Amino acid sequence: MSTDTNNKLTIRDLKLWYDDFEALHGVDLDIPSGKVTAFIGPSGCGKSTFLRCLNRMNDRIPGCRVQGDVLLEGNDIYAPDVDVVQLRTHIGMVFQKPNPFPKSIYENIAYAPRIHGMMQDGPDMDALVETALKKASIWDEVKDKLKQPGTALSGGQQQRLCIARTIAIQPDVILMDEPCSALDPIATAKIEELMDELKQEYTIVIVTHNMQQAARASDFTAYFYLGDLIEYGKTTDIFTAPKNQRTEDYITGRFG
Amino acid sequence: MSDPLKPSSMDTSLKADNRKRRRARADSRFKWYGIIALGLAMAFLTFFFIDIIGKGLPAFQQAEILVHVEYSEAVKSNYNKAVPKKYRKLISRAWLRSIPMMLEGHPDMIGTSENLWVLADYRVDQFLKGHEGHRLKKKYQQLVAQLETDGKVHLAFNTGFFSSGDSKLPENAGILASAIGSVLVLLLTMLFAVPVGVMTAIYLEEFAPDNHFTRLIEVNINNLAAIPSILYGLLGLAIFINFMGVPRSSALAGGLTLALMTLPIIIIATRAALRAVPDSIREAAYGLGASSLQTVWHHVLPLAIPGILTGSIIGLAQAMGETAPLLIVGMMAYIPDAPHSILEATTVLPAQVYTWSAESIRAFEERTAAGIMVLLAVLLSLNAVAVKLRNRSQQTW
Ligand SMILES: Nc1ncnc2c1ncn2[C@@H]1O[C@H](COP(=O)(O)OP(=O)(O)OP(=O)(O)O)[C@@H](O)[C@H]1O
Ligand SMILES: [Mg+2]
Repeated sequence: MSTDTNNKLTIRDLKLWYDDFEALHGVDLDIPSGKVTAFIGPSGCGKSTFLRCLNRMNDRIPGCRVQGDVLLEGNDIYAPDVDVVQLRTHIGMVFQKPNPFPKSIYENIAYAPRIHGMMQDGPDMDALVETALKKASIWDEVKDKLKQPGTALSGGQQQRLCIARTIAIQPDVILMDEPCSALDPIATAKIEELMDELKQEYTIVIVTHNMQQAARASDFTAYFYLGDLIEYGKTTDIFTAPKNQRTEDYITGRFG
Repeated sequence: MSDPLKPSSMDTSLKADNRKRRRARADSRFKWYGIIALGLAMAFLTFFFIDIIGKGLPAFQQAEILVHVEYSEAVKSNYNKAVPKKYRKLISRAWLRSIPMMLEGHPDMIGTSENLWVLADYRVDQFLKGHEGHRLKKKYQQLVAQLETDGKVHLAFNTGFFSSGDSKLPENAGILASAIGSVLVLLLTMLFAVPVGVMTAIYLEEFAPDNHFTRLIEVNINNLAAIPSILYGLLGLAIFINFMGVPRSSALAGGLTLALMTLPIIIIATRAALRAVPDSIREAAYGLGASSLQTVWHHVLPLAIPGILTGSIIGLAQAMGETAPLLIVGMMAYIPDAPHSILEATTVLPAQVYTWSAESIRAFEERTAAGIMVLLAVLLSLNAVAVKLRNRSQQTW
């Protein structure tokens, strides 16, 4: 087992079943701290499934069974005494479709810090909301309409609001499942810039179908195929000199 | 063989060929069926309203007679002596009977006299309104006609209809007792059915594991919503009255029985409302580390409230118009006085309408229709409230 302190998450022999269907066949992966790691692979290969294992979102799915180890800084997140609520404050998640709460922009950000008892409503909370929105580079666009519903923003703004909402719980890791798939190129560029800034403080894991995005925005890339991790390494290595033929086919296939 | 899906160069004409014309005809025929069906429905509804309103409106007016009333000592033992003998048969006995009681309360009035508009007998009322079967004797008909030309008899707004309970004398029968009964029963139904129904639905939809047992419960709840309401009356009789000892005919027995009947409707409506909340909201909340309870309470339930309200109000409106189960728990009784507690014998509006409709005296017919009008007005305002509430809670976030 790896004891490398630079690894935020260590995954060993992770298998997952949906009822009888084995969706992951034993994945080993180390996710480095303070870097952007991208998961790529054809549709249905298990990227989302794997990502959702990392903050136990799969617990909600009936018939879903997980075997193996996922260690967050050496602590098994599937250990029986782990509090899932606590875990998710350490590992936040941004979803494919922007899903702000149908409440005010302010409330979207303030909700989680409040329920976790991190902060009471008041000037401190106002400051936290502002910081989170600034870090997600959306403050300038919404500072005059914090009382308006978050659902009234554009898709790209909503997604950045969701990122701000996740930042507000001060997680160590942010998981993003195709965060740009519903966005136009400009909004996508904004989010990529954002990831670059955020990785100073957070470990970021992103699932993407966009090869250019993986190449541009990530430091490490993992290629999945039919529930197996085929290849994993520095993004530059994967994209310039893939060791595995299937990785090469996939990457070059996308580039045309 | 040519490819059947290959676009044919001949088919690019925009002119209507036979097949297209047939399709257009079918379209317009279908539209006309719809319009005819709508027309029929509107016709039935209009007929119903015209009939009920035509019959019921006269009941909101009641005949009164101007008489000279003498409050002598003798009136205390024989109330008939209070008015001139000639008019005795024209005046409501309900009013005459109340004089001695009134004099008990105001002894200082004895020895005085006054000219008073008093409630007329129902036969006079019906005769004045020109209804068939008024049963007013020939000699009195002339007298009433004379009084009418003298301006000593008239039709006034019927306050008694709203301020008194049931009576064997049509001119004195009102809806107060049954209206209060309805309110009590409905409040109790709401108090029992809404919390239990909403909680059950939340548990089934958000927390219960998906196994054979919960699926069995689900199927049974759906079936319960469809069984004849009279069976709930039998159930209520067995459980609440015979087993738990709730007094017969009481608002409590009726409210509990109707709650039983409304429960499946509320559960189904609430589950549908919860299911309509997109799962992405739940994921967002879970992803931020909210617990199941917080997710439901803070995010899912507020979004489901409009649907839950609408479903609950529809369920309660249905309960309010229900008679069959209440018949079984004894609420079809003759109740002249408004109940003072939920354990006293009570009747409800639809039951009151039913009792009046079974009366042999024709004067009750207009009261039956008027009772239906009041019931309809209440139900329509209930629905209006449902719509209002729904619109309002949709806007506030
Ligand atoms: N809730 C579920 N129940 C059963 N099977 C599932 C469930 N979710 C995913 N699967 C299956 O698991 C496999 C992996 O799915 P997953 O969603 O992880 O793919 P993905 O790599 O994210 O695909 P995409 O790029 O299209 O999002 C697929 O075969 C899918 O059919
Ligand atoms: Mg996916």
